[in-house]
Amino acid sequence: MSTQAEPQAAIPADTVSGSGPVSDGTGNITGGNTGPGASSGWMVLLFFIIGLAGSLLVGWIAFPHLLYEKKEQPVRFSHVIHMDQVDDGCNSCHYFRDDGTFAGVPDLASCEDCHSDEAMGEDPAEQLFIDDYLSKEKEIPWLIYSRQPPCVFFSHAAHVKGADMSCESCHGDYANSKTLKTYEQNRISGYSRDIWGYSISGLGSGAPDGPRPMKMNDCAACHLKETGSKGACFQCHK
Amino acid sequence: MKIDRRCFLSFGLGVTAGTLFSPLPWKLMDDASIWTQNWSWTPVPEPGEVSEVNTVCTLCPGGCGIRVRKVGKRAVKIEGLSDYPVNHGSICPRGFSGLQYLYGPTRIKSPMKRVGPRGSGKFKKISWDEALATVKDKLQDLRTKDMPHTLACIAGSDRGTVSYLIDRFLTAYGSPNYIRDASSRDADELALYLTQGQDGSMGFDFENTNFILSFGAGLMEGWGAPGRMLNLVGSNVDKTVVQIEPRLSDSAARADKWLAARPGTEGTLALGMGHVIVREGLYNRDFIDNFSFGFEDWSDEAGNTRQGYKALVLNHYAPSHVADITGISAVEIESVARAFAGAAKAVAISGRGQGRASDGVDECLAVLCLNALKGNINRPGGIRAVAEPDYLTWPEMNVDLTASKGRQQPRIDGAGTGAYPNTRYLINRLPAAINSAKGDSPVQALFVTDANPLYTMNDPEAAKKAFSRIPFIVNFSSVMDETAMYSDILLPDHFFLEKTRDVPSPPGVPVPVIGLAKPAVEPLYDTRHLGDTIITLAKSFGGFVETAFPWEDYGTFLEQTLADVWSDLDENGFWIDEKAAPKPWLEAFNTGSRKYEFYPAALANSDGHGYHPKVLEGAASLPGGEKDYPLVLIPYDSIRLSCGILAPSPFMMKIIDDTVLVKNNGLVEINPETAARFGLSEGSGVVLKTPAGRARVRVHLFSGIMPGVVALPHGLGHRAPDKYTNGKGININALINDVSDPVSGMNMAWGIRATLEKV
Amino acid sequence: MTENNQHKKVRRYGMVIDLDKCTGCGACMVACYSENNVPFRTDETKKLDSLNWLRVFKVSNNKSFPDVDICHIPMPCMQCDGMHGHGHAPCVSVCPAVATDYDHETGIVSQIYTRCFGCRYCMAACPYHARTFNWWDPVWPADMKKSLNPSVSVRMRGVVEKCSFCFHRYQQAKEKAFVEERMQVEETEYQTACAEACPVKAITFGDLNNPDHKVHSLKKDKNAFRLLESLHTNPKVYYLTKRDWVRRQCDNIDSHTDIKE
Repeated sequence: MSTQAEPQAAIPADTVSGSGPVSDGTGNITGGNTGPGASSGWMVLLFFIIGLAGSLLVGWIAFPHLLYEKKEQPVRFSHVIHMDQVDDGCNSCHYFRDDGTFAGVPDLASCEDCHSDEAMGEDPAEQLFIDDYLSKEKEIPWLIYSRQPPCVFFSHAAHVKGADMSCESCHGDYANSKTLKTYEQNRISGYSRDIWGYSISGLGSGAPDGPRPMKMNDCAACHLKETGSKGACFQCHK
Repeated sequence: MKIDRRCFLSFGLGVTAGTLFSPLPWKLMDDASIWTQNWSWTPVPEPGEVSEVNTVCTLCPGGCGIRVRKVGKRAVKIEGLSDYPVNHGSICPRGFSGLQYLYGPTRIKSPMKRVGPRGSGKFKKISWDEALATVKDKLQDLRTKDMPHTLACIAGSDRGTVSYLIDRFLTAYGSPNYIRDASSRDADELALYLTQGQDGSMGFDFENTNFILSFGAGLMEGWGAPGRMLNLVGSNVDKTVVQIEPRLSDSAARADKWLAARPGTEGTLALGMGHVIVREGLYNRDFIDNFSFGFEDWSDEAGNTRQGYKALVLNHYAPSHVADITGISAVEIESVARAFAGAAKAVAISGRGQGRASDGVDECLAVLCLNALKGNINRPGGIRAVAEPDYLTWPEMNVDLTASKGRQQPRIDGAGTGAYPNTRYLINRLPAAINSAKGDSPVQALFVTDANPLYTMNDPEAAKKAFSRIPFIVNFSSVMDETAMYSDILLPDHFFLEKTRDVPSPPGVPVPVIGLAKPAVEPLYDTRHLGDTIITLAKSFGGFVETAFPWEDYGTFLEQTLADVWSDLDENGFWIDEKAAPKPWLEAFNTGSRKYEFYPAALANSDGHGYHPKVLEGAASLPGGEKDYPLVLIPYDSIRLSCGILAPSPFMMKIIDDTVLVKNNGLVEINPETAARFGLSEGSGVVLKTPAGRARVRVHLFSGIMPGVVALPHGLGHRAPDKYTNGKGININALINDVSDPVSGMNMAWGIRATLEKV
Repeated sequence: MTENNQHKKVRRYGMVIDLDKCTGCGACMVACYSENNVPFRTDETKKLDSLNWLRVFKVSNNKSFPDVDICHIPMPCMQCDGMHGHGHAPCVSVCPAVATDYDHETGIVSQIYTRCFGCRYCMAACPYHARTFNWWDPVWPADMKKSLNPSVSVRMRGVVEKCSFCFHRYQQAKEKAFVEERMQVEETEYQTACAEACPVKAITFGDLNNPDHKVHSLKKDKNAFRLLESLHTNPKVYYLTKRDWVRRQCDNIDSHTDIKE
């Protein structure tokens, strides 16, 4: 550990005197280069700043860009149009089954409750949906923004019915969206970006009407606040 | 201005510091750790809407009601159906593992044609059209040669619509050779016919009895409808159970009393108990005096005096004598006999294990007589003949001359004629009939449905030899088993959970309950309902064969044939024949005397008093000399192993103890005392030799097995391309020779003489 | 840490198994495998390596023929409450990864496979052999993957697994209750797969703290005992038998010195 701490301790000395001791990487401290041809302290500082700034840029801006693969949803779907047509708000399609489970994203059969081979509106996206999926009896491979990993048991019933939470308090305001946003998939973990949250630092609670982060710590924080306990593992795991 | 090493170092430090203050390392670490939690090769089952399909299990003849839980279109779990009249929610381990058969690797996925030698397992995928045309051409050829009687069918059952369809096909085609696979039903049915003159299977009203006296039937080992028997244990009704067998089975361990009679002496023990009941006058006088025949001595038409049951047991089966034969003390025999006679309601049952094999008819009759003494026939808590309900309605059929001539030919297995006039099927005599025939095989074409004779028959080598003489074998199995490997054309039936069919009343159930198996999932592969295959095949013949099958497909046929009961069946999933209430004694018996016949008049021509004492005394009738083979090998059944045509599922292989199988080695159970005599200890490798064959096994010391007796389980030693069972353990059927029952001609082998040699 | 979760004792789910009823058929094991996606291998005869959440052991009174008797003992995870019922089950105390914890709401000891890194301390600590280790990646050949239950995670190689008292069924029962605006999960709504499967009804499952549940009175039966009680692991699985030799074999040293909770 001490060898790692050494160079950091050396920085101020180096920049001030230009002749501080430098680690040679093996833990031995060697004398700095103090000859007349040595670079000035400013130069060293500049390089430090370039390195610092560059890596910050990479870490904060380039990295998130590279980390997430962007995918578009198979059908351009407008919640606004659909909300106008249905009676029961979100529940009309995203409903609870009698056994208490949550239907989540509707399957083709649910779409067929209203849609038929005849398009109902003018939108070319609907025609695409009819041609590519409905008439072929093919399920739409929706990309689910908030899908939890297979080890998680998330109970919509507990949150929506038990704790009386609204859909948008976690998912953000989808009801007023005219299109579905780009799905961003983590190239390493395979998870949707919504799980980690849009703030790459993992801090903060995201945009006010955007989705809330949904990692385990986020669950635990809210549970601690609302119920006084983070809960036991089996409360949310399976 | 100079850029030197210090600048680079500084740059590096800046990068390090910047990176540490950026999310990059932390996020990467997090993502990488998540990555390690989700290997791509670890499957993630897709969630979906949960639904349930109520249906009937057809993995064995037990016909238990099951619920299939589905997630989306997948079936994920089988559970017991609580409002089903047979099993009331209880099912056996095989039922619970049913999805492993459905989705398992042994399924035959399309019609196949054999391309390698028989048994090599080399098959080529063919189309249904080609497969059916091949079968039709071959069968048509036989008909042209006036040889339709050389077509035989080995079937797992002779009940229910599918069996009738096949039988109807054979009739229209012109063959008398429908052969049912062997089971304990054979002896039971024959005994019922002989004593009561009834056609039907034996029903036991265990639900309402107080005392069960089992002469070896493995009531907890999967006998009858396994779910029903297990449910009875859980039903909290007090019953005394006495289990008689030489091995501490699960049934014996759960029984109130275990009587370890020497193997094969069960019938003698029954007659000994009969002696006590008769001597002490504990029998039901009303029934014996008014509704039975042959209890007292009687005279036949020729005027000869014949010995009745009473004189027989009193003269020959005194407890002290029976004790010598069975090894059960006279005191014990007397006390159990008195308890049986004294119980408010009591029932006695014969048979061995799950009832895969037939017991001797003599033994069956001897035990049946105890029920008669008790007067429990057609009474609550007793036994009754369960006739198959006439729920099937068939249109008339005409046959052509070829068919009619073919039908008049004698059966190949010799059942129903000559020495065995009362026997319906004799599958055990088929191999010899074929192997001993001069010239061409008397069977030129064979159908196999719901049967796996090359595994289940004793002496499978003889059966294989016979099969090799049959030029054309068509198998309708859904899974690749030993017999399918030996077949020429495979026409796979839809499997369990994929099809609609009626399920005939399960063995042992006292009321006829017809179940309706419904598909829980869409057929997975290119298979066809056996009913549809038969109808299509029949239609391709044209003429009278075609007109005998006026239905479009099996579905229409089923609805029309079940006619009146269809709506009940469809709605409830089962139909109970209310008309089948047991008749009062006055009307119950269809024998010549119109009474229950202790001395079956149908057997009057055979010598002696109707029983064969040698048969009843067990070991004496076993093949092999005592000198060369000092031990007796018996098979045992376990509910953890499926002993019938299907190999155990992977889950069942997982629950069998390591005292039954270790790696691929079967373990033979042996009493520590016997082991000491042979110088063997736990795990010793030995060769088990019998007159029928030999096998390498290991020794398991078990004090629950009678000294001098060794035991191997049924259900292991399969030789079919299923890596979970192939080559694991020993197929005990191969170590046992056929023993012909003198009354019926059926195989009544329950064991064989054996010896162990150290290796 | 985990003890913080709701220290008020609401429920204590437990089991009472009647050994005099059990026939050893093994239906409970198979029902458990099927419910919980327990994998299987081509050779399952080496029982120490065989993955099981519930195992039916067979014991004998060691007498000679024909006085010999056998008894089958189904053994799921005992869901130990630990000394004084504080939730310090032997396995929970040793897990360095907090991959297993004690749920104070139900008394169930969890096992989180994605958290477990496979050190197997818990297996060493468990006196009941309730835990098994995934030495191999699970394989479901042919179409067998289709029979996997989505309510239970499939485990990967290198982690420990054990009986969860079918906790997912409790989760599902709660969901149903929420939707029907109830707070209480009924006795029949939450039953483990083995209890439901037992064809002879030898396994009774319920809340040991709830007087309305059958287990509440059954555990007080004079024939009730627990395995290895002398270790004070305080299991929530009780057994019933009238046979003294069975009780002796189950190390029933101080069955009547109840640990005060």
